[in-house]
Amino acid sequence: MVFILGVSFHESRLVKKCLETFYGIGHQHSSQILAKHHIFPGAKVGSIPSKTITAITAELSTLKIENDLRRQLRDNLQRLKDMGTYRGRRHAMGLPVRGQRTRSQISTARQLNRIERRG
Amino acid sequence: MPGERKAIRKRIVLSNTNALSVQMEDLEKETLTDRRLIGSVVGLPENVVDSLRAAEAFRPTQVWGLFRRPGVLIREESVVLGEKLAEAEETKGSFRMVIDGDRISGKSMMLLHAMTTAFLRGWIVVNIPDAQELVIAGTEYAPIEGTSPIMYSQNEYTANWLGQIAKANNTVLHGLQLSQKHDLPIPIENDMSLVRLCELGARDKEVSWPIFKAFWSEITAAGRPPILVSLDSLGQVLQTSMYRDAAYKLIHSHDFAIVAHFADCLSGKNRLANGGAVIAATNRSHDPISKSLELAVKQSLEMKQGGKLLTKRDPYEKKYDERADRVLQGLEILQLKGLSKVEARGLMEYWAKSGVFRSRVDEKIVTEKWAVAGNGIVGEIERNALMMRI
Repeated sequence: MVFILGVSFHESRLVKKCLETFYGIGHQHSSQILAKHHIFPGAKVGSIPSKTITAITAELSTLKIENDLRRQLRDNLQRLKDMGTYRGRRHAMGLPVRGQRTRSQISTARQLNRIERRG
Repeated sequence: MPGERKAIRKRIVLSNTNALSVQMEDLEKETLTDRRLIGSVVGLPENVVDSLRAAEAFRPTQVWGLFRRPGVLIREESVVLGEKLAEAEETKGSFRMVIDGDRISGKSMMLLHAMTTAFLRGWIVVNIPDAQELVIAGTEYAPIEGTSPIMYSQNEYTANWLGQIAKANNTVLHGLQLSQKHDLPIPIENDMSLVRLCELGARDKEVSWPIFKAFWSEITAAGRPPILVSLDSLGQVLQTSMYRDAAYKLIHSHDFAIVAHFADCLSGKNRLANGGAVIAATNRSHDPISKSLELAVKQSLEMKQGGKLLTKRDPYEKKYDERADRVLQGLEILQLKGLSKVEARGLMEYWAKSGVFRSRVDEKIVTEKWAVAGNGIVGEIERNALMMRI
């Protein structure tokens, strides 16, 4: 098991995929992090030296990811609501925000739009 | 199991006990340049087969598995190449050559023939079996400290490669001992054999690149045998690789230590002091198109044929690669075309004797297969005579 930012990963997993498990890191950021530490895209977690793992963890801790990013999202929604904007209201009601019709097909909005949005 | 399916895909079977055994001459040092053998299939001696296998000269796409034992067709070009290699050995000179030709026209086989020749003549063979492996970001890489502009080493590949070199050239390298002082990160004995040196590099990937450099300076020292440096799929290493640097820019393939080393050999910057040859084969199936290579091949052929340059550099073409251009200057091109009918017949008779070609080999059938195969493109003959069942 290898620990990256406090999360344990199996040695056989790809470094890139491990990085992408963090909320806020996708293809672009993970590729850039790999390139920065000279890790090739097919590298497995078990094969890279612990020094590099530490460096990656250090770098990840400077980024706004996971709970920080989720909090930012919620704060933004809360701000909209506090200002009393239409967008804020629609989020709070779980309805589409950008003028879509609501007669049918709003399951995505029902699922996602809320003030305490998960992410 | 990880890697199992790749192992099956890349497996090379060199013998088939169901195939009929064919009486054929073995290739020997004396018969390498024998024009009498043109158009006949000759067997590869067993020790050379081991070396070739270690050097990964056999490709999974070639149909070795249909025959009792590996044999190669001697064609006009192979004798020409053999003569050039012989001349290089005698005069201690070296030549740089690119083998080009249509798809499945036998370029990799020509490379195999060159390697066979080198092994039989007691040369040292340094082969990069597939350049693609070096540039498609499939193996680890790391910047080499203290280099400017930054060069990158590929330690895992280098270690494996050194192992291959040691195995392929075992007999020659056993007889050679260290003659120089090297500044290496690990302690080494002063009088160890070069096989041992390579094995040390193969075992510890962290030191593999410094060991390769030491190995190279040893084999280019005075009094060593000639060297054949070869590479398949040249087009892969004439442009940017798929690796990225710390700033997320694509790295040029010539910034990798192994590729740069080969490029220096091909451009003539790395001189082979004891004679030898640098041969690269292009690949027309899956190499990226390199405009620089296309131009170099075209110009070289024009110079050879008419002595006059007809094709100029296209001023509007943006895809020329400056660094590739520098390497490709003044190269010799061996252009492979289809087989002659005599050669095609020799090959088909061998197939018939092996029991895989079930038809009478006469003038008519040879001409038919030869014509259908785009005037004797050898892989096409193989396709329509051997692989196709109607």
